[in-house]
Amino acid sequence: MQNSQSPAALDDLKVVELPMLDPMPFFAASMAAKAMADLGAEVLKIEPPKTGAQDRHFGPVGRGGPELETRALHLYLDCNKLSVTLDLARPRGRDLLMRVLEGADVVFNPNPPALCERLGIGWRALCGRFARLIVVSTTFFGTGSRYRDFRGGDLVATQMSGVGYETPFNQVTDPPNQPPLKAAERQADYMTGYTAAASAMVALQGRKRSGRGQHVDVSQWLSMVSTIRINVGELSHDSPRAGMHRRLFVRRKTNAGWIYPCKDGFVSFRSSPGNFWDGAVRMLGSPEWTKEPIFETETLRLKNSDALDALLTSWFMEHTKEDIFQRAQAQGVPCFPLYNVREVAHNRHYQARDFFQDCEHPLAGRFKMPGPPYLMSRTPGRVRRPAPHLGEHNLMVYCERLGIARDQVDAMLSQGVI
Amino acid sequence: MNDLPLAGIRVADFGWIFAVPHTTSWLGALGADVIRIESPKRPDLVRFLGGTDGQLGINRSGLFHSINFSKRSIALDLTNPAGAEVARRLVACSDIITENFGTGVMTKFGLDYEKLRAVKPDIIMMSGTPLGQTGPLAGAIGYGPNSLAFSGISHLTGYPGGEPSGIGGTWPDFVVGVVMVMGVLAALHYRDRTGEGQYIDLSIAEMVTGMIPEAMMDFFLNGREQHPIGNRDPDLAPHGAFPTAGDDRWAAIVTVSDAEFTSLCEVLEAPGLAADARFQTMAARLQNVDALEREIGELTRKFDRDDLVAKLRARHIAAGPMYNTAEIIADPAMVESGMNVEVDHKEVGRRVIPGLPVSFSACQPNYYGGPAIGEHTDEVLTQVLGYSPDEITRLRQAGGVL
Repeated sequence: MQNSQSPAALDDLKVVELPMLDPMPFFAASMAAKAMADLGAEVLKIEPPKTGAQDRHFGPVGRGGPELETRALHLYLDCNKLSVTLDLARPRGRDLLMRVLEGADVVFNPNPPALCERLGIGWRALCGRFARLIVVSTTFFGTGSRYRDFRGGDLVATQMSGVGYETPFNQVTDPPNQPPLKAAERQADYMTGYTAAASAMVALQGRKRSGRGQHVDVSQWLSMVSTIRINVGELSHDSPRAGMHRRLFVRRKTNAGWIYPCKDGFVSFRSSPGNFWDGAVRMLGSPEWTKEPIFETETLRLKNSDALDALLTSWFMEHTKEDIFQRAQAQGVPCFPLYNVREVAHNRHYQARDFFQDCEHPLAGRFKMPGPPYLMSRTPGRVRRPAPHLGEHNLMVYCERLGIARDQVDAMLSQGVI
Repeated sequence: MNDLPLAGIRVADFGWIFAVPHTTSWLGALGADVIRIESPKRPDLVRFLGGTDGQLGINRSGLFHSINFSKRSIALDLTNPAGAEVARRLVACSDIITENFGTGVMTKFGLDYEKLRAVKPDIIMMSGTPLGQTGPLAGAIGYGPNSLAFSGISHLTGYPGGEPSGIGGTWPDFVVGVVMVMGVLAALHYRDRTGEGQYIDLSIAEMVTGMIPEAMMDFFLNGREQHPIGNRDPDLAPHGAFPTAGDDRWAAIVTVSDAEFTSLCEVLEAPGLAADARFQTMAARLQNVDALEREIGELTRKFDRDDLVAKLRARHIAAGPMYNTAEIIADPAMVESGMNVEVDHKEVGRRVIPGLPVSFSACQPNYYGGPAIGEHTDEVLTQVLGYSPDEITRLRQAGGVL
């Protein structure tokens, strides 16, 4: 999959990613652009002069080199992108942006709608000026929402979407002392980013039919609400299951989300519905207790899940997670070992699939990083170039592409326009 | 004129459970002709989850309807050669195939990529499984949430110092849903340029590992191993969910600067907190985050949740209520967003389903209710596949069409 000769799915597309100018960290546009860059689209990442985009300011710092160039988020999210600096706060900078957008297919803009309108880069202005451009707003609440001027972000979107309400999943026993939780890192940003990338691809298909671009309005809040859609459906259908979606649920340990302790860590294990129960019984060696009447049916097992889980756990505590994983899978029971970061990094299965890709960066050195979310047989996503230095492609874009004279570019540089 | 962007695209959908049905509802709502292949002999178990108004039934699951809108359903027995043949004929006039059976199941049906590209050389096929189609553990089975354990994210999700955790919203199934939309449309884009189809192999665990880049990169770059930090952020404090007045009511609050922290203290009517030496700078607040959260939590308890959120928003501080499902649907911004979509359904009547979380300026998604099982069998076999009524009768007698 690392074949450098393989073609790329999107290498005819030009994408522009605008920087988040609000101080709230928000990486949806960056993830959306990365998803397209990994498949070969040319992504011009517009960055504020001197400081650079947010990717250079949050997350762990890598070894060697200045922090601006070696932050983990920058190395990962900006891989395969080109970096161009440009000050959107200045009219001259915005004029340059308009020239950059000529000939672009997609622009991802994470900025608050009011700020965009003040700067003349709101979606109406951009769609009006560039008929074929697909303008993707990735904002906290949507550009038309009554909340459009409010700050959101990963934590707020998680809590307002119902995902926080259900996290930790089926593990809340003491609500006052267990706040609703967000998932690790920046899931709401990334979910929004993938939603934006998918929507941009939809609009590109639409453009083949109509010849015209359009505005795609992606809301971080709604992107997260989309992940609790089954709860909405169950509520609107007055399903008895709707009552399950609550924080203090009886510890429903036979659920898919349940994590059991074992001898050397944890496993994710599921013994319902019934065919999985049969497999679980075989895995356990058909002990007498599995024949107890209180465990006879699915309903009874759920009702008596505390007793069931105590018995399961006592067996798990005598076995390692790898052992349980192998034994459960051999009986067709859904089960995975729970891995820490080191175990994930050294995972043989991932290695066999070349999931972690090598990247060589002039300052951060040689390192591995997660590959794209799927393997395309003919056009695999891959590392084509490491994350760019701040403004690395200024001359290429401003001089070679836009034909601006070198001395003018130098002047803009010294004036801080770029 | 509502010209839908994916009009003219046909999808043969072998998906079930959560992730792939969500993918094809996206495609269907945006204009693709999605034909879902189902077997009444081994129906999608989601069809039996829930029921409507207390009444169970194969066509009465609200859960099913929330992820199966805007598509047709045909009933085939893929284990029967006649059924598999009808499926191949559908593939021959489709652009995209989606599936999320266990690894090897499509091969068992004679419907693996190699066989299907013989039928339709430029076909695009995408599979989604916990660990992907290749590698030593390719055959491992599990639901999306089980894959979280393998991916590393469960280890990182939890209270500081606490146990690893699963994530709400049956995470990551609906992330997989949109990522697959991206994947098949990227392949379609390439096919339109070159005439070449391809096979796409999504490993749910890999996708999730790609969404914890900070921990993975910290390990690869620095050899450091990260652990759960709850609602906290490595660079910002406060960054948490705080209790407010009443039972289990919480507000998320994030400040990004010292000035915002001062504003927060003003809203909380706590000048002492603003003046406290332990909390003067972001660095100091991060260092004393346990004490900071305790102090803020004591103060927020005195406020009504929605009042507090409104006051903080007025100061431009990131704040939001922790919502349950009913509160989300009722939120005025949600109502106005158009995402609460009402559709009619033959058996359960008019119901709200969650639509797409995105608005397109040039089109309005086409929403219609989830299909009854096999509702469109005759229609599709006749109009799309060109079978005569006699042939359909014979296929039924052979047990291929159900």
